[in-house]
Amino acid sequence: MDRRDRGARLAWTRREFLVRAGGGTLAGVGIAGLPGCARRRPGQATFIARVARYDVELAAPILRGLRELGVTGSEIKGKRILLKPNLVEPHLGAGHINTHPSVVRGAAEAFRRLGAAEILVGDAPGHCRDSLLVLEESRLGEVLAADRLRYVDLNAAAVTTVPNLGGRTRLARLTLPAVARQVDFIVSLAKLKTHHWAGVTLALKNLFGLLPGAYYGYPKNLLHREGIPKSIVDVAATVRAHFAIVDGIVGMEGDGPIMGAARPVGVLVLGRNLPAVDATCARVMGIDPLKVTYLAAAAGWLGPVAAAEIGQRGEAIAAVRTEFALPEHIPALRGLRG
Amino acid sequence: MSTDQDPALQPLVDALLVRALGDGGFASHAGGAYAPEATAWAVLALVAAGAGPEQVPAARARLAAGQAADGRVSLDAEHPEAFWVTPLAALAWHGAPRQAAAASRAVGFLLATTGRHWPKAPGAATGHDPALRGWPWIEDTHSFVEPTALALLALRRAGQGAHERAREAARMLLDRQLPRGGWNYGNTTVYGQELRPAAVETGVALAALAGLTTQAEVLRSLAFARAEAARLRTPLSLAWALLGLGAWGERPAAARSWVLESAAAQPRRGAYPTTLLALLLLAAVGDAAVARVLPR
Repeated sequence: MDRRDRGARLAWTRREFLVRAGGGTLAGVGIAGLPGCARRRPGQATFIARVARYDVELAAPILRGLRELGVTGSEIKGKRILLKPNLVEPHLGAGHINTHPSVVRGAAEAFRRLGAAEILVGDAPGHCRDSLLVLEESRLGEVLAADRLRYVDLNAAAVTTVPNLGGRTRLARLTLPAVARQVDFIVSLAKLKTHHWAGVTLALKNLFGLLPGAYYGYPKNLLHREGIPKSIVDVAATVRAHFAIVDGIVGMEGDGPIMGAARPVGVLVLGRNLPAVDATCARVMGIDPLKVTYLAAAAGWLGPVAAAEIGQRGEAIAAVRTEFALPEHIPALRGLRG
Repeated sequence: MSTDQDPALQPLVDALLVRALGDGGFASHAGGAYAPEATAWAVLALVAAGAGPEQVPAARARLAAGQAADGRVSLDAEHPEAFWVTPLAALAWHGAPRQAAAASRAVGFLLATTGRHWPKAPGAATGHDPALRGWPWIEDTHSFVEPTALALLALRRAGQGAHERAREAARMLLDRQLPRGGWNYGNTTVYGQELRPAAVETGVALAALAGLTTQAEVLRSLAFARAEAARLRTPLSLAWALLGLGAWGERPAAARSWVLESAAAQPRRGAYPTTLLALLLLAAVGDAAVARVLPR
């Protein structure tokens, strides 16, 4: 692919944006402005699967979650899927930094069983420019090779520039990998972690990894300059991923997203609406999502965050709640306990 | 050693040359469009290897055609803020009479440009001194290790190694060195925790600092680079670890065979991008040949 995707249109149209935003729902048009419309809309439910270990077949619980949330073969058959794991910085022996390869494998197999025509795995790691090292140290490369999955290094892929539909930062445009326009279904395959600047890093923050370092710097310097919470909202509003699967089998607590401690939780959290997924994940971590700046900003606009607006399927949050360590000396983590 | 003395490196040269485009530039991969960073690295590798006598001048000219009036070289015309390619272009133009003016403008741009910097606040979350000026990846963002090291290499190559900006860049790189050795993208500690090093940034920082500081100041980083070079076979990390060690006269005896091992992994990993092929070639040709294109 060429670096510049000159043949691509420069922006989603307003109509495309609305369709992508909510699968036909009103999720992208400001739910808060439509009284009575926001409570537990279809597509805003989340599903929690209890999964204790990585060395089990993960496609089954993911498939169960997809079906519970109304993602069926008729929606996926023939579609091109982009799985976007969190591969920010791989280190041997520190697997809790990244989305586990078994979760990538399980998600790919689940979408294959639903009839996906092609499944791509792609990321633009924020800290490590050596994409081959990322694949080897994270052990994801072995899984991709064994399962014949194609990896796209989004730091070096062709790009397209589109209007910033979030408008929270000063960035008028966002430069995205062209592949994000070419696929039919984007899945944020995130990790359940605290984040020392943003509070948490979950399905929405994981979308930073779609933006190529060649245009944003390492680690996404332009977004850090603009403010992480505002940038999360802008990227989420512009990209509008279709689904999220958060790897909470082993998460990270404390000084995340790199230097925190492993925290086994034993869950996968799934959903169509990313703010709803992040809100459920936060509650699982013992965090009040409305105290997380970017979720408070997204609430009622990009999706529901209040518990009453999110239907819960699978395990109850209370049954899996695992209070993550929130060190007081890190301001972004202070006072988040819910 | 140049490739005419080492036939084992000829496949790397050939793989590079097929990425040359009709307009003189190089693509980042087979079938791709012009990519300035790939073009600059291809020039440097081919010059070091004593290869590409027709392709090198054409590539230098193509790079110059994309230079902005202020001297910067960006990824593409739509993204002038992504000017981190500028030091690579300056290195690629060095010693080429036809691009002497372009090289001078690029160096002038670097000397006139920095990132966002601010005084270190008491109790700051990050350990480094944010006031020390280097160069950013992207305009109007904070300076980080790799673009600063590349700019320092370009300044030194252009005879500006004693310039105040070069001296400050060296101080900035030493300030970003991790206490236990090595560099990463550019943070040392955050909230009191030391972050982990990486081979790429360690190699490029070592290459930039060689001759500007004492070995004692980078001893732990050299040890990290040695360990990583022996362990890693991914081209970007291996090449920079070797180039960094070579700059300090510590090129491992097995370096060439490690590079060939990395290049031979392409059937399994897929064909490497042009930049990686070029870096592998540079890491393979040996210090005397590298000295044709990078300061030593």
